[in-house]
Amino acid sequence: MFLALKELMHSKMKFLMIVIIFVLVAWLVFILSGLGNGLSTLAASAFQNMKADYVIFEQGSQSTMGKSLLSDQLVAEAEKLPNVTAASPMGSTMATAMKGNNTKNEDKVDIAVLGILPGSFLEPAVIEGEGLSSENPTGVIVNKTMKDDGFKLGDTFQLDGSTQALTIIGFVDNQTYNHLTAVFVPMSEWRKIAFAAPGSDKGIAGPVNAIMLQGRHIDPSVISSKLSNIDTVTRGAAIHGMPGYKEENGSIMMMLAFLLAISAFVLGVFFYVITMQKTNQFGIMKAIGARNGFLSKAIVSQVLVLSLTSIVAGVLLTYGTAAVMPKGMPFKLETNLVIEYSIILLVIAVLSSLVSVRKITKIDPLKALGRVE
Amino acid sequence: MPTGLQINNVTKYYAEGSNRISALERVSISVEFGEFVAVVGPSGSGKSTFLSIAGALLKASEGEVNLNGHLLSKLSDKELSNVRLKEIGFIMQSSNLVPYLNVFDQLLLVKKMSGKVRAEDKTFAVNLLEELGLGSKLKSFPEELSGGEKQRTAVARALINNPNVILADEPTASLDTKRAHEVVSMIAHEVKSRRKAAIMVTHDERMLEYCDRVYRMEDGRLSPAESTSLAAVCKL
Repeated sequence: MFLALKELMHSKMKFLMIVIIFVLVAWLVFILSGLGNGLSTLAASAFQNMKADYVIFEQGSQSTMGKSLLSDQLVAEAEKLPNVTAASPMGSTMATAMKGNNTKNEDKVDIAVLGILPGSFLEPAVIEGEGLSSENPTGVIVNKTMKDDGFKLGDTFQLDGSTQALTIIGFVDNQTYNHLTAVFVPMSEWRKIAFAAPGSDKGIAGPVNAIMLQGRHIDPSVISSKLSNIDTVTRGAAIHGMPGYKEENGSIMMMLAFLLAISAFVLGVFFYVITMQKTNQFGIMKAIGARNGFLSKAIVSQVLVLSLTSIVAGVLLTYGTAAVMPKGMPFKLETNLVIEYSIILLVIAVLSSLVSVRKITKIDPLKALGRVE
Repeated sequence: MPTGLQINNVTKYYAEGSNRISALERVSISVEFGEFVAVVGPSGSGKSTFLSIAGALLKASEGEVNLNGHLLSKLSDKELSNVRLKEIGFIMQSSNLVPYLNVFDQLLLVKKMSGKVRAEDKTFAVNLLEELGLGSKLKSFPEELSGGEKQRTAVARALINNPNVILADEPTASLDTKRAHEVVSMIAHEVKSRRKAAIMVTHDERMLEYCDRVYRMEDGRLSPAESTSLAAVCKL
């Protein structure tokens, strides 16, 4: 630490440049992770926040709501299966809400209509207004982002291409589906919207898209074997089955992985070059008695100081950026993720400095004296 | 129990293809505490190899170095670096100071290598530097020092751990006559007053007046310098 700090103080400019590069890398890593997190929240928060553990889909539906059609008679059967504590049906369809007279572009809002049973465990808690009720099938609870589009509690809106009109009776928080505002409607109303065209329910009695299960110790293979023509997957798999989710997440993760790999090399090369410059010094110190451990500690502690400074600066810049980002940006920083990536960056920096450490242990003090005959 | 530095029949050879090139041939020398010995000789004669072996930087092919009771051929790399740290003070051709440490920290660094720095170590370092005339330069960096000051700092660095053996490798190579005398007389003074066993490799014959004995190295063989040449030197 002694050598590390003394050198930092003596050549501030050199180390400042490394810190700037490291800060930029850290900043970008945090922003990308926030963006990835924000996008996946937008894509699936309604699913992510649901208190369900497993999902039953129709066989061959690739764990995708839109490709699956089941009868709600299965709900009663699923409830009786081992380890299942509760089961409830769910349906989803895309629609467009039209505000008022629908004269301006802004009057049309794309929404995801999610059909659930009022009072079931799938219904999110309202933050304003009241929950769903079977007596009022056209009363719906919607994500609060609809407020930004000019909708208020008690507003009634028409659905484009449909005769149905829905009334907002409550607002919920953090409920988006497929990047769209989630609108929770009672199951009976959802069927009218989703299966408006005759025959689109394939003649199934009480059609639903999926059945959500609660129960921590459910064995999906048991469920699949007891009920015919179904697939049982975890909620996580169902999220991945959402159209575009994997691809979107995958590209962000790929960028992050490349960024981390590149930063490992860039930092490693920097530390290596700096170490190479000092080969002679290290050799002399070895000649007067410095052990490899002493010099390695000096290098690693220097890298630790540089990395910690840069990461902290990167985190501060990221939160600063988040504060000035426009509200609609799908950007969501989570403390957990920030800590996770900070640790990853720190580990990468230290690992990349090990190459230099290895170099040090190989320095021959005799060569450093420059007097080999 | 032998004290000081004993080198017995040390041979060092390098393999070059199928040939065996010997750099040192059956070299023996014994230096007691308080003795300042000079080794002179043309370049390529094996002086540096000799000093590297005495300084635990290079292992002898044959023979033994007994450094204040440590048999160097028996020690591991880690023990050797410990011997270098605790038992040997090196003074090199160019002072080879660490560029980003001030004069005082150059000495502390050596203390740090052996563990914690105590308050008395700091006092010792300050006293040592004052003794060597560097009292006003404690906070100066090497780039702000003159050649003589750098070399005196190197002398202080060699002494900070209170080693038993001092090895100087052409300490005056980069100094003018006045500074060279200043530095070597300082080394001689420290060797006498602190009772160190010291060897200086040099081809600067001006400096031999400070030494108790002079050896000549030629083609890897070490022999006491002839009295005639020594007398010639003394006349100068």
